[in-house]
Amino acid sequence: MPAYARTAALAGLTTAMIAVLTGAAPSVPRPGGAAPVAPSDPAPVEADGFRSVRTYTVVARPVRLRIRALHVDSALQRLGLQRDGTVEVPARPEVAGWYEHGPRPGQPGPAVILGHVDSRSGPGVFAQLSTVRPGTLIAVDRADGSTVTFRVTGVSQTSKTAFPTDLVYAPTLDATLRLVTCGGSFDRARGSYRDNVIVFADHV
Amino acid sequence: MRTRQAGRRRHLFPLLCAGLAVALPAGPAPLRPAAPAPPSAHGPDHPVAAAATAPSAADLAVRFQALLGQHSVLAADLMRSRIRGDDAFAQAANAALGGNTDAMTSLVGQLFGAATADKFRPMWSDHIVALVAYAGAVAERDTRAKGRARAELVEDEQQLGRFFAGASHGRLPPKVARAAVVMHVNHLTGQADAYAAADYTTADRLYREGYQHTYGLGLTLADALLPAADRATLRAPVWRLRSQLGEVLAEHAVLLEDVNRAAVANTADFDAAGDTINANTRDLAAAIDTLFGASTARRFQSLWASHVELLVEYAAATAAGKPDRRHRAQAELRTFEHDMAAVLAPATGGRVPAADLSAALQEHDRMLLEHADAYAARDYRGAQDLAGRTYEHMFALARGLADGFGATVAARLPHGGAQTGYGGLAGVTEHR
Repeated sequence: MPAYARTAALAGLTTAMIAVLTGAAPSVPRPGGAAPVAPSDPAPVEADGFRSVRTYTVVARPVRLRIRALHVDSALQRLGLQRDGTVEVPARPEVAGWYEHGPRPGQPGPAVILGHVDSRSGPGVFAQLSTVRPGTLIAVDRADGSTVTFRVTGVSQTSKTAFPTDLVYAPTLDATLRLVTCGGSFDRARGSYRDNVIVFADHV
Repeated sequence: MRTRQAGRRRHLFPLLCAGLAVALPAGPAPLRPAAPAPPSAHGPDHPVAAAATAPSAADLAVRFQALLGQHSVLAADLMRSRIRGDDAFAQAANAALGGNTDAMTSLVGQLFGAATADKFRPMWSDHIVALVAYAGAVAERDTRAKGRARAELVEDEQQLGRFFAGASHGRLPPKVARAAVVMHVNHLTGQADAYAAADYTTADRLYREGYQHTYGLGLTLADALLPAADRATLRAPVWRLRSQLGEVLAEHAVLLEDVNRAAVANTADFDAAGDTINANTRDLAAAIDTLFGASTARRFQSLWASHVELLVEYAAATAAGKPDRRHRAQAELRTFEHDMAAVLAPATGGRVPAADLSAALQEHDRMLLEHADAYAARDYRGAQDLAGRTYEHMFALARGLADGFGATVAARLPHGGAQTGYGGLAGVTEHR
């Protein structure tokens, strides 16, 4: 233990005891009230040239999704909300889409990409999504030529009536990716699958 | 010999811990904190000790993160003051670090049980003493002492790694636990080495990375040590956002105090400190972009940048002995507080009124100006006290903003599931 630390600690203890015994709070000057310290060095004040930054890195929008393990290589359509408040889905079964009111892939927050499991007559871009395994890599190409990579952490299948909006879309500052498609049994009366398959992936 | 040294270090540590407490409030965080009370590590006013109702495990876990992050910056500040031979500052930093350890031990007890807390304190204390010894060796350019301190740190890393792994009942592998502690120690020793070599860019990069890593370590530990239900809560978006906004906003306070310390003292590390607060400002703007889009983020950053510049201007004017510039900066901050509240209040959907936000920002600015004044007056104990309260205050503000922002964003999220199938593979998908 350095001698300085013992001295400092004892002095601190003494000061603390005096404060406790006397009930005195540490004296803190009001802002603007303290006399400015006269500069001991005539050299220019280092802080005089300080400027705060007024820009931040803007992540480019995603344009392509690639999952080698599933043989997925698709352009990305931009998706918004429908009038009933549900999410838009891609216009074509073989093309995936990015929910543009949420974060861009690689930006802090959960980016969401949706794709069809099938068409009326055959497979869609996410036909094999429910078979993806944790650890699988997902690449998203962006409009500025950059690529961001994610690693699958989990897959879940849930009823559409109990869709976990919070876990898929709710804001955090973790740069994550969610892939969404349909799964489970098909309700022929409604012309719709009863479940959604959701893949969760973290930024690598 | 390890046993004898460890015993001596444990004997000395209570002295290091004596002084004022720097702890986070235990109850739900008010947006507008009450008038500050005289700090006390052990009395009934201590915010952790005075908790009337038991906070949730997630609440405690986020505060554990906050205290770990605070430990990192306080330890770095102490090591730096030791290196520059500033004994008065080192004394104040010692006391603040002791208060942080008290608060952390108390939280460990609440989160993981008294037996775990009893084991935690002496190990954590040894770790701090070894860090101080390392800084002393760096200051004195004593290679042999540095080697001894390094050996102590390695032993502490192994001990802490085993302790956390054991407490997790196998959920946290010993190698992972030790690696996390090693990284924490490397950040602190690395920033000390760089600071001593006047490589302030590296020193401040490691200072910031150290804060972020140690803050994240709190989540890693809580995630490993808490019961399954609490772990799930911690991963829920609302808790992630509370934790993350708290991290970046409290870091703003820490880095602003650091840049103003350099401004007031007019030291050569000012530029590096300025770059570091700028990096935090970028992260804040990026967070606002995530939540509300680029337009709001640009507006936010423009105002926030003015806020940072005015606070630094106040400190620079103090260094230059220009009271008129100080008063002007102080007056212009009132405009910032009003304008920023007008931007943020709608983002909370009115859940946090603009008047309350403005008052909270005014309180934030007041404490930072007082911090600069205290530092200029070489009242380091007062400065550390203010730093601790500013840190607490930013967490309280972040909590209110996170909940308001989260609710606003949640209201516009898509409803229900996605209709992403037409039945062509119905016979296949049904059997997966």
